[in-house]
Amino acid sequence: MPGPVADIHEISGSDLISALHLAQQAPAILQESRSGVTSSNSSETADYYARLEQLLLACLRTGDDQSAHTCLNRLNLRFGPSNERIMGLRGLYEEATAKDQLALEKCLQEYDNTLSQSPVNVPILKRRVALLRSLNRPSDAISGLIQLLDAIPTDAEAWCELADLYQSQGLGPQAIFSLEEALLIAPNSWNIHSRLGELLYICASDGDASQLLGRSVQHFSRSIELCDDYLRGFYGLTLASTRMLDNDYAGISGQLPKKTLERLKAFALLKLGEIVESRSIDDQHWASSRSEMIAAKELLNRQNNIQA
Amino acid sequence: MAIQGAEQTILRDPALFYWILFPISIVMILTGILRHYATVLMNTPPKSPSTLAESRERLALLRGVNLRNNACSVLDRESFAMRKNYMVTGFRNGAFLKDPSNRGQPPANPMTDPAGMEAMMGMLKGNMMMMIPQTLIMSWINAFFSGFVILKLPFPLTIRFKSMLQSGVMTRDLDVQWVSSLSWYFLNLMGLQSVFGFILGSDNAANQMAQQMGMANPAAMVNPLQPGQDPDKLYLNEAENLEVMEHFCILDGVEERILQNFAPVGI
Repeated sequence: MPGPVADIHEISGSDLISALHLAQQAPAILQESRSGVTSSNSSETADYYARLEQLLLACLRTGDDQSAHTCLNRLNLRFGPSNERIMGLRGLYEEATAKDQLALEKCLQEYDNTLSQSPVNVPILKRRVALLRSLNRPSDAISGLIQLLDAIPTDAEAWCELADLYQSQGLGPQAIFSLEEALLIAPNSWNIHSRLGELLYICASDGDASQLLGRSVQHFSRSIELCDDYLRGFYGLTLASTRMLDNDYAGISGQLPKKTLERLKAFALLKLGEIVESRSIDDQHWASSRSEMIAAKELLNRQNNIQA
Repeated sequence: MAIQGAEQTILRDPALFYWILFPISIVMILTGILRHYATVLMNTPPKSPSTLAESRERLALLRGVNLRNNACSVLDRESFAMRKNYMVTGFRNGAFLKDPSNRGQPPANPMTDPAGMEAMMGMLKGNMMMMIPQTLIMSWINAFFSGFVILKLPFPLTIRFKSMLQSGVMTRDLDVQWVSSLSWYFLNLMGLQSVFGFILGSDNAANQMAQQMGMANPAAMVNPLQPGQDPDKLYLNEAENLEVMEHFCILDGVEERILQNFAPVGI
C-alpha cells in the first residue's frame, strides 16, 4: 500500500505525535484495505496484519476506540480468539477501555484464569505485569515479572521492564543487574547502554560513587561508539564526566586520568552543540525527541554560563 | 564413434515434443507446487512449552550461551564472575532442569515420548513428501516414455555430459546434444527451483503466516534441545565452556577509543 501508511514502521513506542498522525488516518486505512486484502499474496498480508496491529495500538493511545475495535475484530477474524498474541491484544483493548478500577480488577482476574489454563502464555503474562503496575501494585508486578523471567530468561524487553520497575522502587543495584541482563541478550543496543549509564549515574549518589561513575562514563562512551550521534549518550557523557571532574574522582584507583576526562567532556559538549544545531533545522522530523532537545539546549546554556 | 564435425540428424516426429516434453515439464511443475502446499498444510508448528519449568529448561541453555558470547561487551569483572558462578552452579546441580529428580537417569526412549514422536513424524512426513511423488513420476516416465530422444540442445557439449543427458538411451554413438526423456525428468527435478521461486514467491513465503502466528512468543520460537537429547548433558557441557572463559571487557579503554575515532583533532 503506497502513500500515507508507508512510514508505519518508523513509529516508536514512546512517540505520541506519530501515533496520533497514524491514528488520524485509521478510517481511511481501514476503508481502503477492506477491498484489497484477500487478493494479495502471503507476504503482503503478513505485512498488512502487522500494520493492523500497529494501528490498533496507535488508536488505543489516541482514544479512537472504535477504530481500535475494528482492527481487533479483523485480527481476530484472521488468527482466531485462541491465538496468544490476539489474547494479549484483546486484553490490552479491554484494559484501555475499562471505565473504572473495578473493570481493571476484572481484567486481572481474567488474566489469572487464562494463565491457570496455559501457564506459558507470554503476551498475557506480560499484560498481567503491566496491569499490576498500572493498578499501583509494583511489588506484585515485580514478583510476576521475576516469575516470567525465571521461565523465559532470554526476553530483553522483560528485563528492561524489570529494571524500570526496580528503579521506580528505588532499588538501584537490582535495576542495574536487570539492565545488564538485557544487554547480555542485545549487546549492541546503544539505547540500553546509555540507559544503563543513566542508572549508574543516578545510583552514584550513594555507595561507591567513583566506581559507579566510572562505569557510567564507560557505558555512555560505548553507546556513542555504537551510534555516533546519539543525543542521550552525549548528554549523559557530559553530565557524568562533569560530575567526576567536580568531585575530583579522576585518577584515583583505576579511574581515568583528569586530562582524558576533560577531553571527553569537551568532546561531548562539542557534539551536543552540533547535534542540537543540526536538528533544530528540520524540527518536524525530530518532533518526537523534542524534550531531549530542550534538555540538551539547557545543558549547553548552563555550561556556557559557567565558562563565561 | 560419431564423426567429428558432421551434423547428426535424427528424424523426430514433432509430436514427440508436444506429447512428451511438455507433459513431463508440466507434471513436474504441478507436483512441485502440490508438494509445496502439502508441506505447508501438514507442517505442524513447533510445540510451545506447556509449563514454565519446561520453558526454563529450554532457555537456560540459551542464557548460558548469551553470557558466553556477550559478556565481553557488557560486564565488568565483578558482575561477570557473579553470573558465571550462578550459571555454572545452576548447570552443575541441575537447578534449571524440568524435574531435577529425574537427573542422571537415561533419557526416555524417543519412541515412547510423545513430543519426540511428534518431531520424528514431522521429519518422516517431510521425507515422504519428497519420496512418493518422485517415485511415482519416475516410474510413470519409465513406463511410458523410456528410450525416447526428445530434444536437441542448440549448443555442443563434451562427452562427459552423456550420462547426464542420455540416461535410458544406450547408444554410444549418439551425439551428446540429444536429450532423452528420462534425463529431461532429472533436469527438471534439479532445475525447477527457480521456477518454483517465481511461482510461489521466495522459499519461505508460504510459511510466513505460520511464523507470524507464533510471533511474540519467544518461548515457542526456539528450542535448542532436540527430542531425545538429555538437557543435563548439554548443561554440563555449557558449564565447562563457561568455566574456562577468561574475562575481558571491551569497555576497558572505550573512552580513549571514542576520543581517537570520533573526536576532532585538538580536543
